[in-house]
Amino acid sequence: MPRTLNQPRPACVRWRDGAPAAVDGEAVEALRESWLVEDQWWTAEPLRRRYWELIGARGRNVVVFHDLCSGAWFVQ
Amino acid sequence: MSARGTPYVELHCHSAYSFLDGVSLPQELAQRAGELGYAALALTDHNSVSGSMELAQNAPEHGVHAIHGAEIDVTGVESASGVVGAPGAGGVPGAGGVPQAGGSANRHLTLLVRDEQGWRNLCRIITLAHAHTREGSSRRERGEPSVDLQVVLEHAEGLVCLTGCAEGAVIGRSAAGHGAVDEQAARRLLDAFGAENLYVELQRPYARHDRARNRAFAALARRLGVRCVATGNVHAHARIRAELQDAFVALRHHATLDASEPLRRGNHSHVMSAPQAMLSRFADHPEAVRETLALAEQLTFDLTKDLGYRYPGAEEQGASRRLAELCGARLEERYGSPLQRGARPEAQARLEQELRVIDRLGLAGFFLLHHDMLELAREVALEVRGVGGLDSARALLAPGRGRGSSVSSLVCYLTGLSHIDPVAGRLALGRFLHEDLTGLPDIDLDFPRDIRERLIPRVHERYGSDRAALVATFPTFRARGAIRELGKVLGLPAGEIERVARGADHYGGAEVSSEQAIATALSGGGGASAHAGPAGTEEIRSERWRWLARLVEQAHGLPRHLSQHSGGMIVSTRPLIDCCPVVPAAMEGRQMVQWDKDSCADAGFLKIDLLGLGMLSAVERCVEEIERVRGERIDLSRIPFDDPQTFRAIRAADTVGVFQIESRAQMQSLLRTRPMNLEDLTIQVAIVRPGPIQGGAINPYIARRQRLREDPDYEIPFEHPALEPVLAETLGTIIFQDQVIQVAEAFAGFRPGEADGLRRAMSRKRSHEMLMRHRERFIEGARAHVGAERATAERVWKMVEGFAGFGFPKSHSAAFGLLAYQSTWLRVHYGPEFLCALMNEQPMGFYAPDSLVHEAENRGISVLGLDVNASDVGCTVQDGCVRLGLGYVKEAAAAEVHGLVAERERGGPYADLSDLAARSGVRRRTLEQLAWAGVCDGLLASSAGLRAVGERDRRAALWQLGLAAPAETDPSRGSTQLALPLELPQTPRLRKLGRWQRLIADYSTSGVTVGEHALAILRERLTVPGGADPVELATSAQLNRLPSGCTVAVAGLVIARQRPGTARGTMFLLFEDEFGTINLIVSKAVYERHRQLARAEPLLLAYGRLERHQEHVGAQVRDMRGTPAEGRGEQEEEIRPVINVIVRELAALERFLDGGVEEGAGRLARASVHRLPGSERPVASAGAGAGEEPEGADVGSSMRAAAPPVQSFAMGRRR
Repeated sequence: MPRTLNQPRPACVRWRDGAPAAVDGEAVEALRESWLVEDQWWTAEPLRRRYWELIGARGRNVVVFHDLCSGAWFVQ
Repeated sequence: MSARGTPYVELHCHSAYSFLDGVSLPQELAQRAGELGYAALALTDHNSVSGSMELAQNAPEHGVHAIHGAEIDVTGVESASGVVGAPGAGGVPGAGGVPQAGGSANRHLTLLVRDEQGWRNLCRIITLAHAHTREGSSRRERGEPSVDLQVVLEHAEGLVCLTGCAEGAVIGRSAAGHGAVDEQAARRLLDAFGAENLYVELQRPYARHDRARNRAFAALARRLGVRCVATGNVHAHARIRAELQDAFVALRHHATLDASEPLRRGNHSHVMSAPQAMLSRFADHPEAVRETLALAEQLTFDLTKDLGYRYPGAEEQGASRRLAELCGARLEERYGSPLQRGARPEAQARLEQELRVIDRLGLAGFFLLHHDMLELAREVALEVRGVGGLDSARALLAPGRGRGSSVSSLVCYLTGLSHIDPVAGRLALGRFLHEDLTGLPDIDLDFPRDIRERLIPRVHERYGSDRAALVATFPTFRARGAIRELGKVLGLPAGEIERVARGADHYGGAEVSSEQAIATALSGGGGASAHAGPAGTEEIRSERWRWLARLVEQAHGLPRHLSQHSGGMIVSTRPLIDCCPVVPAAMEGRQMVQWDKDSCADAGFLKIDLLGLGMLSAVERCVEEIERVRGERIDLSRIPFDDPQTFRAIRAADTVGVFQIESRAQMQSLLRTRPMNLEDLTIQVAIVRPGPIQGGAINPYIARRQRLREDPDYEIPFEHPALEPVLAETLGTIIFQDQVIQVAEAFAGFRPGEADGLRRAMSRKRSHEMLMRHRERFIEGARAHVGAERATAERVWKMVEGFAGFGFPKSHSAAFGLLAYQSTWLRVHYGPEFLCALMNEQPMGFYAPDSLVHEAENRGISVLGLDVNASDVGCTVQDGCVRLGLGYVKEAAAAEVHGLVAERERGGPYADLSDLAARSGVRRRTLEQLAWAGVCDGLLASSAGLRAVGERDRRAALWQLGLAAPAETDPSRGSTQLALPLELPQTPRLRKLGRWQRLIADYSTSGVTVGEHALAILRERLTVPGGADPVELATSAQLNRLPSGCTVAVAGLVIARQRPGTARGTMFLLFEDEFGTINLIVSKAVYERHRQLARAEPLLLAYGRLERHQEHVGAQVRDMRGTPAEGRGEQEEEIRPVINVIVRELAALERFLDGGVEEGAGRLARASVHRLPGSERPVASAGAGAGEEPEGADVGSSMRAAAPPVQSFAMGRRR
């Protein structure tokens, strides 16, 4: 069964001082990058996401985004 | 500046003059910056300073200091070595890095101007960047501008260099967005600019690798010993424009939005944000933010201060003396003859008075410059025409005129700017030249078209290509074009886009938003029974269409690209590129500055408009023909300017051929206003323009004039006493553009600069918000200045606001009014020569040549058809008749026709067809065309082989020529027929050409017929049903005798169609029949019902209500200002009524031929049309039925194919 790779999955993000502080329970060690995507506005599904590239307490790279339309958080 | 406490200044910002990249006008950026609390703003468009003057003019009023610069495309920078990192990882959108705006090989540098030297250097860099952009095979295609880095290094003085935007930094690598730095390039920059003038630019467009890149750049800066500065790379002033920017990127790459994701910015971070927000954005680099302030404080260059521009003659020492000498010599010439000697003392005194004022104002050089231009035109005329030598009729007056000059200034007359003798015409000097005049008079020069073409490159030559250039203009996004382009970008279906684009004709007015217009167009479509629902309530089908409406709205009025202005030129004593960059224009030998006429005016440049006026050409030709034919030499500057016959013709709207007053709207207006003198004509010319029509001025003006005529004691109402001195001459309404400024000053207390700002806001295309701000100031100013109540001020404002369009300045009106008078005078007194000149100057004017001919014939001027032995190449006057010229035959090459005439002059008239075929040197194809046009009809009688007189016919000629004409030579075959006159055998019996077919033959070959009118041929075959008995069609001649309000049926050939934007969907049609013309008004509803007919069918039948309106002449005759005129037997003059047919139904005429009444004619059948009083049916001509006449459907289709072009509003404007 073909499965799309790298689909976003919902995440639980704790927020502090304008940036994510923990992702799914894992504390955020450092903020690497933050970027913004605003696109597809002319379609029925506009895209507005704020991305964060974080380093988790376990030392791995985590990319999360905040869907600015729905307010939900996802890990990608 | 920093006293405002703002933490950040924007040093990298694009306006809409970064074409298809920026989306906001400089004034919008300035206003927003002010709102957000910015102390300063730099404008850095791509390779351009087109918006700089606008920013400089607008920024101060928002408390923002304008900084100038540009973003330059740079080549010659090697790619960096040792690149770290790879382009965007994973499938994360937006991580692919932000793409380049320019070409892929180009990098960008941001340059800011520190001082005057820096400005000059920037202009040079930009000039060099564009220098090669027209060198491709087709000059029309513009290459991308760029310069080698070395050029920038050589022009570094006075400039501050920022290393470039994130995606294209000279020091960085593009696609990765990672911080790999090019130290080599950086060091070269450092060497040229020095550490004080080089900054590493940091940006934070919220793309994936911003922070890493900025860290790398900051490290480079430390190594180089230079500072970092933060910039926003702003492309839009507000969020509402952000989506348009994405659309522009797609448009620029000829892609759709769906397909151009990698090319987009990816987000809308390029919208101007508050300084505080920028501080947060650059949280990692607070010192780079602080640097923006420190740097901004040093960049104090003020573009509104002296750029060092001087026009030739401005500073000339002996200018006053030279002008005096020149005028003195001219005065001798003009007033030296015995006839004029009486006027001489007065002329002398006037001259001295004017020269004194000119001297005091320092304007001598100005007049000398214009005089030089006119003399240059005289030289050009000699070259172009081979005539115009000292003793030619045209030599009396220079071949151009100054518009905006004063018709009442003697200096203007003597230098050739004006074509009316003010002493003879008893014209007082007035406001044109007076001691407190500020600034330069704004004078445009009108030239005959042929001269203007050569004159522009000559001016470049004369002053030097570095000291002369054309003014730029910026075509903007307008309804149809915007819908097409943005619709494509949104991926909407092409057919539907086109439909919507066509339907969006008439939303030019401020009332209808593009959303409503698109909604209407989508729902209305083109269906037969479609009706537009209440605007705005129709469902727009999908998100994309909604976006189209929004984008079109946002794009409206934004500049699309740089183009050359129709004729505005700047000439200067210093090289122009010291003041403004100069870029090549599309046409060879021409170049233009990057500023439009408003920016040039702000910069204090002297702009001379060199415009081509078809009417001037026609008038000159007429004068020449009069001399050739009658030996009279007309001096148009000295004809009587109060000729009663001429004014009578004007009042009767007998003005076909007089460009300024010949349109339907003008003519109907003439019948109401009834001009009495030149001042009246000046107003008349200005009335029928978008300005006065939108401002509601046209009707109140006419209404008041009528009232004055009927009631000499009528007091003209003014909204407020302060308006009386300004608006008295136009009966309390605003008609001239200057009056807007005068009203603003006299009523609302505006200072001259403010009033000019108001005028500018009105003429700029997208200025609604600006206009609203002026409104408040106006109303408040009226209260303060003259104590006007709010309601009064609002009403006056409405008059002003409605004027936002293209009203004429009074001086232009005066010039055009004068030209209209001189043309009408010629038309009245030299009718044949005038017609002849118009025919030779086509295309021009409102009417097709065929209509001009018919109108003249109805006036009693004979027009003779094409004749191989009598016609010249152009039309000529022969024995008081106008002979059509062979040049009118389409598809007859000019060289061939010239050859034919030359041979005739050399070897004598052509004896017969075979002689023609043998001698004329014309190809067979052309001979056939000539025969079909009736050119050879005269040869038939003498041609051997024709049985009888009755067989003189084009078909016979064609037959004969088929035999006689040399075969087309075919070199490969080697066989040619010898060009010897042949004995031609008998012509077989060919069917004679019917009347209709002859007409069609005329139209398809020359576009003109001098024979029977189409309606004369068809009328006897028309049967129009109406109730029990057939209806009688009314002719144009009969309409005058029918009661107003009655129902009529009329038929005609459509010769004009207009659907002006101001008329809200109403269409105006002009029918022509064998007696004259009929004006018809087609309401929007009727138009929608009969769209195809109204738009395209040449032969129509219309049924509707007749409206006749006749002016009353009051007991005492007054002129337009209400002052009584001398009685001149005015009461005996026939008052021609205004006649219109308000159409209820339209039908194609062909359906009513020969008794055939078709389906759908039913509506007409139920009509009860007014019985015509004892009308005579036109008698069928002798021989009818002897030739073949086509059936109804063929009549229609043949006419559709061959009918002469119908003038529409747009075409009529071509001068």
